Amino acid sequence: MSTGAKKRILREYAECQNDPLPGVKINFDEQNMTKWEILMDGPDQSVYAGGHYKLEINFPNEYPFKPPVVSFKTKIYHPNVSNDDKGSMCLGLLRPEEWKPPNKVISVLHLIRNLLIEPNPDDAIELSIANDYKTNRAEFDKTAKDWVKRYAK
Amino acid sequence: MAEFPPDDERIDELTTLQSIYPELVLDFDHPPIPTARIELPVAPEKPLPVVCDSDSSVRNLSHLPPLIIDIILSEGYPTERAPTFNLTADPPWLPDRVLEQLMEKGHALWEEYGGMQMLFAYLSFLEESARTAFGAADSARDGVLKLPDTLRTPMLELNEKLGKELFDKGTYDCGICLEPKKGGACHRIRHCGHVFCKACLQDYYNNCIKEGDVNNVKCLSPDCGKTGDVKVDRKKKDRLLSPKELLQIPLELETVKRYAQIKRKKKIESDPTIVFCPRKWCQGAMRTEKYPKITDVSQMDESDIEDGEPVAAPKATDQEIKFRGAPNTDRLVICEDCSLAFCKVCLAPWHGDFERCINREQKDLTEEDQASLNYILKNTSPCPTCSVPCSKSYGCNHMTCFQCKTHFCYLCGAWLQPENPYGHFNNKKNKACFQRLMDGAMGDQANGEIRFGGRRGAEQEAEFWEQEALRIQMEELGG
Repeated sequence: MSTGAKKRILREYAECQNDPLPGVKINFDEQNMTKWEILMDGPDQSVYAGGHYKLEINFPNEYPFKPPVVSFKTKIYHPNVSNDDKGSMCLGLLRPEEWKPPNKVISVLHLIRNLLIEPNPDDAIELSIANDYKTNRAEFDKTAKDWVKRYAK
Repeated sequence: MAEFPPDDERIDELTTLQSIYPELVLDFDHPPIPTARIELPVAPEKPLPVVCDSDSSVRNLSHLPPLIIDIILSEGYPTERAPTFNLTADPPWLPDRVLEQLMEKGHALWEEYGGMQMLFAYLSFLEESARTAFGAADSARDGVLKLPDTLRTPMLELNEKLGKELFDKGTYDCGICLEPKKGGACHRIRHCGHVFCKACLQDYYNNCIKEGDVNNVKCLSPDCGKTGDVKVDRKKKDRLLSPKELLQIPLELETVKRYAQIKRKKKIESDPTIVFCPRKWCQGAMRTEKYPKITDVSQMDESDIEDGEPVAAPKATDQEIKFRGAPNTDRLVICEDCSLAFCKVCLAPWHGDFERCINREQKDLTEEDQASLNYILKNTSPCPTCSVPCSKSYGCNHMTCFQCKTHFCYLCGAWLQPENPYGHFNNKKNKACFQRLMDGAMGDQANGEIRFGGRRGAEQEAEFWEQEALRIQMEELGG
């Protein structure tokens, strides 16, 4: 990774620290700054309220020309997060063809938070969960809350 | 030598004026008349459209030559005599009519002030009118100021020079390295005005060109070409930077040449009417006016549209279809590289008009070509729309073809709906791909044991059985 990219990651970290998002904590390791560990609280107004989620943001070598890779380490019942051991997300500005270098991690964090508040079932990675969300909201809320208790406490 | 009396009101007024306009040059050396001169920069808020006699294209100038104001205060100013103003512009771009009007306004103002000091009021008025370029173009035809040819070059140069000075003085936040940079270290993208630092642009464009990804040599700003609607956005193509602009950033000449050549090559290769030279060491394209050879990249100024889809594959006319194999038509073509004259149909050196020949596909491959072909079969998945071999370096198996932007599954080659590309991986019916979205996420070469479906799967299977057959043969030989 180029020094420019490292400098940019450091700068972005400082920016996140100066203007912290509510309920988001970043564990930053200067020795390995291309891997951020994020602790995100389920937003109060969402079904994930009360849950604590561990996420990982990995910066590729070509950052910021390629997008960071986001994965949920804590299991979550959500149409936009893959329901496997990877917990990957691939939508909006995280898509390689949609990512533009001036986009920043802070906007990625905003995107994730907003998706927790309002999932996007039309761009779902888990179709059955999206279906649940669209047609049987009560059932979806129940399962999601159940998973919060089971995995995210 | 005579001197001004200490209480001369004119001297007072001019000195005061100088404290407001420090660039005002005073001349008190020739009593009894004090004079002063000031150059007023002219940078209208709305660029002034101008056109020259011999060149009909309209240019918008944001920086014009300054207005030079000479102030001559005769004895008796301000109470009894009006001041004299001489207005000029160098080079003389302002029409005399406009200059006269401005001077008349000076006189009118003096009358209005009824013998009071009025120089400041007049300069303020001129400054104010400079923001609309003194309305120089208002009464002109079409609102475009017509200029003599001799002024063209100096005015354009000045416009560029002053614009650059202003830009260089400014500080810009580069959206890529997120550092504030001086204008001199930055580049403003010509067609959209977004600013990035040169180092970041060089990094990115050099890499794009090195990897042959020329369709990404465009503005990096997220709001560029955005219309809000994602679907429209995908269709609306951003403009690629012209070779000339890349040289201005600057990128190295060799890189820019490569850029121009790849773009040209892509166009030629996606054009089915073009055939290639049969000489193995040459393989140049046939000569055509459609894609002129690149001579000087520094003159290539067009910032063309991203050439995603093959340029609307020119329809083969009935005539063209007929001549495949038929005599007496335009079979003779010439290689643009080695000048070999050959037949477009049978790909043999030119045999004359009266020879009957049959269509020959270019299938006799050299050893290297065969090796490349094998590699392509093994390590790429063809796009289901345009068949271009796509290889995945990293990421999920939802692919977007880099050439025609088709969404497809890397594993089985099925088309995916752009609005719901992941449904495919979540449907149990798709046995081969179910829950395999992230298989091989670290790239194709990372592990060899990915199973593929579709065309690629068949190739994989064929290869497997070939090796299996070889193994059995060896066993039999051994036994």
